[in-house]
Amino acid sequence: MRQEILLGNGAIALGLVESGCQVVTSYPGTPSSEILPEVVRFVKSEKLNTYTEWSTNEKVAFDTAFAASITGKRAACCMKQVGLNVAADSLMSAAYLGNIGGLVIISCDDPGPHSSQTEQDTRFMARLAKVPVLDPSSPQEAREMVGLAFDISEEFEVPVILRPAIRVSHARQSISYDEIKSNNKRASFIKDPTRWAATPRFRLKLHGELNKKLKDIGRKFDTLSDYNFHNLELGKKYPLGIIAGGIPSAVIRDFLSEEERKDLPFLKIGTPYPFPEALAEEFTLACEKVLVIEETDTLIEYLLRDKDKVLGRLSGHVPLEGELVPKVIHKLISKVLEEMNLKPLNADDDNEVTNLVGDLQLPVRKPTLCPGCPHRTSFFAIKKAKPKAIFTSDIGCYTLGVNLGGVDTVLDMGAGITMAAGFYHSFNQDEVQQPIIATIGDSTFFHSGTAGLLSSVYNGARFILVILDNMITAMTGMQPTPALGIRADGSKGNTISLERIVAGCGVDFIEVVDPYDMGKMTKLLKKAADYVSDPGGGIAVVIARHPCVIAYKDEGVPEKKKVVVTDDCVECNICLEQFECPALYHDDELGRVNINREICVDCGECIQVCPKGAIVEA
Amino acid sequence: MKTIDIVLCGLGGQGILFMTKLLARTAMGKGLNVMGAETHGMAQRGGSVVSHLRLGETEGSLVRAGTADFLLSLEENEGYRNLSFLREGGSMYVNADPNNFPKEKVKGYLDGHEISHHSFSATEIAREMGAPKSVNLALLGFFTGLNGGAISYKELEKTIDKISPERLKDLNLSIFKAGYERANN
Repeated sequence: MRQEILLGNGAIALGLVESGCQVVTSYPGTPSSEILPEVVRFVKSEKLNTYTEWSTNEKVAFDTAFAASITGKRAACCMKQVGLNVAADSLMSAAYLGNIGGLVIISCDDPGPHSSQTEQDTRFMARLAKVPVLDPSSPQEAREMVGLAFDISEEFEVPVILRPAIRVSHARQSISYDEIKSNNKRASFIKDPTRWAATPRFRLKLHGELNKKLKDIGRKFDTLSDYNFHNLELGKKYPLGIIAGGIPSAVIRDFLSEEERKDLPFLKIGTPYPFPEALAEEFTLACEKVLVIEETDTLIEYLLRDKDKVLGRLSGHVPLEGELVPKVIHKLISKVLEEMNLKPLNADDDNEVTNLVGDLQLPVRKPTLCPGCPHRTSFFAIKKAKPKAIFTSDIGCYTLGVNLGGVDTVLDMGAGITMAAGFYHSFNQDEVQQPIIATIGDSTFFHSGTAGLLSSVYNGARFILVILDNMITAMTGMQPTPALGIRADGSKGNTISLERIVAGCGVDFIEVVDPYDMGKMTKLLKKAADYVSDPGGGIAVVIARHPCVIAYKDEGVPEKKKVVVTDDCVECNICLEQFECPALYHDDELGRVNINREICVDCGECIQVCPKGAIVEA
Repeated sequence: MKTIDIVLCGLGGQGILFMTKLLARTAMGKGLNVMGAETHGMAQRGGSVVSHLRLGETEGSLVRAGTADFLLSLEENEGYRNLSFLREGGSMYVNADPNNFPKEKVKGYLDGHEISHHSFSATEIAREMGAPKSVNLALLGFFTGLNGGAISYKELEKTIDKISPERLKDLNLSIFKAGYERANN
């Protein structure tokens, strides 16, 4: 027996290997990114035969796992909630076809949102696709639910989604486990075109079968008392009951037990779809009103039959957006209790401290690019070369270029390129030559850049595309990209060249530059702009290649330059506002800019930025 | 038994996750159940970062406002920002100049709620010892000297020794010790 403090994502990884999952695929995205590396860690420490891969995107991850599952193996794919949008086409279809070996999709939600474009609720995606979804409330429960998901998926031949919210994925918990063994089940594929290549005629039949499966699974969920349970006393009636799932259910159970509120019965729903109807009805019948507290949307609320009794988001008792942290839950329960003239919760009046902290007017700390980040120098050069351009951008660390005025739009993965094309055609229609510079990271380009780029070339769009190649997937925690040729388990794979892909998309102008040389990059961008506006030109691609200084400490800053700020500083603040390195700050005592040694990485890039030459090498 | 609830805060890049890990591992070594919640992803890039740690029997991983026993902050303003987590009679440990900490405005609140406050310049110590990025270890050492035995110097020292990478072990231990010694001055 071993004991470890596992991240929620580590507990999920443990659940996967314990369940004999033989194929695990993923594309990184907060809060899901650590699942696959944790699987790799277990595979190495327990000497397992599990196949792992970083796929180029979530659809690729899904399809790879799906194929494995129809060979009879257990397979899983892991992604963040918006990643499931990318794999949605596969999910909808796979729900009809079903699987042979268990197929589990892990899609991590981000109420808040902390690190996502949306607060979308994966449980609704499960409802849309008509597949079961499990909603864990802790790392330990997530681990157990992985096993449950595989069992359900195999028994009913249907993909199952596990939906951990960010506070499960990034919670830590001490967890014990025994020896883990490899699953040696061998792949076999029995041809059945009416199922695996089903045409619409067969799809109708498959849809009917899926509906029947869901009915049966719903009944099973009614009796799954480890995950769906209440504490009603038989025959007793209550004025108010609380129904919750996921993280809010853990918070509420703590409240109710700390305050010994046996008068407030509680129904936990760990498997919200297909809905455990009978269990929910039993609970609702015993209560005059039920308060539903779930993240992030209104799934349970929609699925409850007796709408007259339900208090929740639709009745205005639960906030429609934002994370349900303990403070918010405490406040909303208190309000309902007050409205219903029930005994209040213990006071949680923190107005005094909230007002006090508000009065201090603390500086807002927004996320910024790291000291030494090559994206910062790229954006500086981009703005210098074409200050009036429209800057379309994409998803990654470089989204933070918005602080530098180098990012005007961010929609979703790949839209830096496709929106540049949209802008071009819209202005070109009016015969306006609008300069456009798109930025996209290396990993994002591999994920969803090529389709947009080749469509842009095909349709004659004109813009500069800067691929910010820091040789890693940085934002999500330093996963390798196909260009590195290093695979998820650290073994060597084949390397994919960005230049060759770009050339293959039909681009003729391809130049590589080190963005640490801002002068050179600015000049190159001007040349690229000339090419874009030349009648015989086209799309120009500049690959700004410099290793991430976090992932590659030595290569990232090859030449250490200890910089100091001299008294020539005139406090013009150009370095603070337009370069925005967090290691530069205004020193009120000295009356000039100064360097924060605690975080400076000695890249010396700011030397190029100061118009007065006041930042110099010591 | 009531849980021991700790909130750790500061700015992304200051090593809050490592600090949380050290405390969590130490608590597990003492036979306590550990639950915690961390910040990853975009917020880690220099923004405000908060880690929650709950030791003992609990369902939830998040510390509720007004219930934390200890607040450790690697940066003064982040310490104020997270003040609402502390319970009556809780304690805070902050990397800040003790001559100017706490701000006058806050002092009344701390006294009124019997919150004990401890500060020292962990930044200075880490810099003097040639490892300006190890502010987290200095603050942890300082915390062990003043927390009344909830997590002791010896216990935490053992964890640091165990999980520090070999090349940083001696430095980590000496910065941790320097912080501890500052607490006893």
